[in-house]
Amino acid sequence: MNYNWNWGIYFEPSPEGVGTYADMLLSGLQWTVATALSSWVIAFFLGSLIGVMRTLPSKAAQAFGTAYVELFRNIPLLVQMFLWYFVVPELLPESLGTRLKQLPNAPFVTAVVCLGLFTASRVAEQVRAGIQALPRGQGMAGTALGLTVAQTYRHVLLPNAYRIILPPLTSEFLNNLKNTSVALTIGLLELTARARAMQEFSFQVFEAFTAATILYVLINVVVIVLATWLERTVAVPGTR
Amino acid sequence: MTSTPMPAPGAAKPVATAVQAPEDEGLQTGPLVTPPPATAAGVPMIAIDAISKWYGSFQVLTDCTTQIAKGEVVVVCGPSGSGKSTLIKCVNALEPFQSGQITVDGTRVKDKATNLPKLRSRVGMVFQHFELFPHLSIIENLTLAQRKVLGRSSDDAKTRGRDLLARVGLSAHSEKYPGQLSGGQQQRVAIARALAMNPVVMLFDEPTSALDPEMVGEVLDVMVELARDGMTMMVVTHEMGFARKVADRVIFMDKGEIVEDAKKDDFFGKPRSERAQHFLSKILQH
Repeated sequence: MNYNWNWGIYFEPSPEGVGTYADMLLSGLQWTVATALSSWVIAFFLGSLIGVMRTLPSKAAQAFGTAYVELFRNIPLLVQMFLWYFVVPELLPESLGTRLKQLPNAPFVTAVVCLGLFTASRVAEQVRAGIQALPRGQGMAGTALGLTVAQTYRHVLLPNAYRIILPPLTSEFLNNLKNTSVALTIGLLELTARARAMQEFSFQVFEAFTAATILYVLINVVVIVLATWLERTVAVPGTR
Repeated sequence: MTSTPMPAPGAAKPVATAVQAPEDEGLQTGPLVTPPPATAAGVPMIAIDAISKWYGSFQVLTDCTTQIAKGEVVVVCGPSGSGKSTLIKCVNALEPFQSGQITVDGTRVKDKATNLPKLRSRVGMVFQHFELFPHLSIIENLTLAQRKVLGRSSDDAKTRGRDLLARVGLSAHSEKYPGQLSGGQQQRVAIARALAMNPVVMLFDEPTSALDPEMVGEVLDVMVELARDGMTMMVVTHEMGFARKVADRVIFMDKGEIVEDAKKDDFFGKPRSERAQHFLSKILQH
């Protein structure tokens, strides 16, 4: 292989005029983290709501929850990204569509919404599984004490369901973080997009993607450490 | 409609200090509940009137009718699958029923106008598998519904909770979690949790069936004391010793029907139905 290794490339100025290639990659990392965290907020709260709906006695709520999950988890993420970015603005009334297209951070906003709604369908399934894993008597005990349905979920079912699903929920958080790379296709300058740009400018493909790989792994290790700490913190005394 | 009066906050209470309590201080004397005020005789606390229930096309309850007077203790027994647990869960509407009516302390269970959470808060229920909330400490288990449903202050709820923990002999465990207690202790906490709401009636759904044999006694002791204090109780159980000791009446169910509904002495002395005789001969022979 005739390749010209250059590990010093990170400290050479990038062709953007300001900063080095390292700065470029780090700014990409910032967008990755910002997109991951923002979309996770949507995914967590909307996913919890949809997951709860699938466990309610109401047939209408169940049907809505099921429809949401099947719609959003059965379309490839990449297609969803294109739909939100290229198709949805065209379907809206013209003035609104134009305003969307002219948003200062259109790729970021679109990526957050798209990832949030996509991941919500997966979080919903885990929340549902967590609730259904609890003994049926738990809900009954809450109900028998006079708690309303909302109170029973808030104080009895969800605190226990979240504890059960914390490990798979961590995986989902990591997936969501890695899925932000799909947003490079709609022009979000996140980590993968920046690594590609670096490769195109400098032809140092190995160095560019080695850096990206290490950064992704590092940030995921941080998430795993935090999740392990969280698991220990919320563990209920007297259970395994 | 007032529930059983609770001692006014600030009134003299037995002081339950964790210091004096080593491990499990055993039952303390003193009433578990304030005796219910006398009411006009003949008004039933629970009136079950011609209840029928189906799961799809399968009928689980057929035309069940009975009444439980204030202060009465009624034991419901019968072979497994006879519908006794289903019947008791209909009383506080944990299970819906398709026809008939149940009235609890004058409130109709099957009525759109009935505030079910409010009704349920006045009907204590104890489950076979305890169903304590595992993520909450014992005292939090006792105070959650007091605060959220009855609107009591955290301090009042805790005082009431500690009072009841002392009465079931578990003061030392108030800061522990359910997973750290034995089955018998958990069930006593569950009884205290139900009593914390000042219920007018207590339902027990096989309260000792999931316990190791050596723990059955401690739970039954609490229930016997409760019965002697005048609590209205409907108890699904196979503990015939308990029935003999404190029941006023015994209801025998089979295949979703109330086959026999008799005074305790009549039931154990000369059950009229062949099915009840058969059942008794099976469970009493050991």
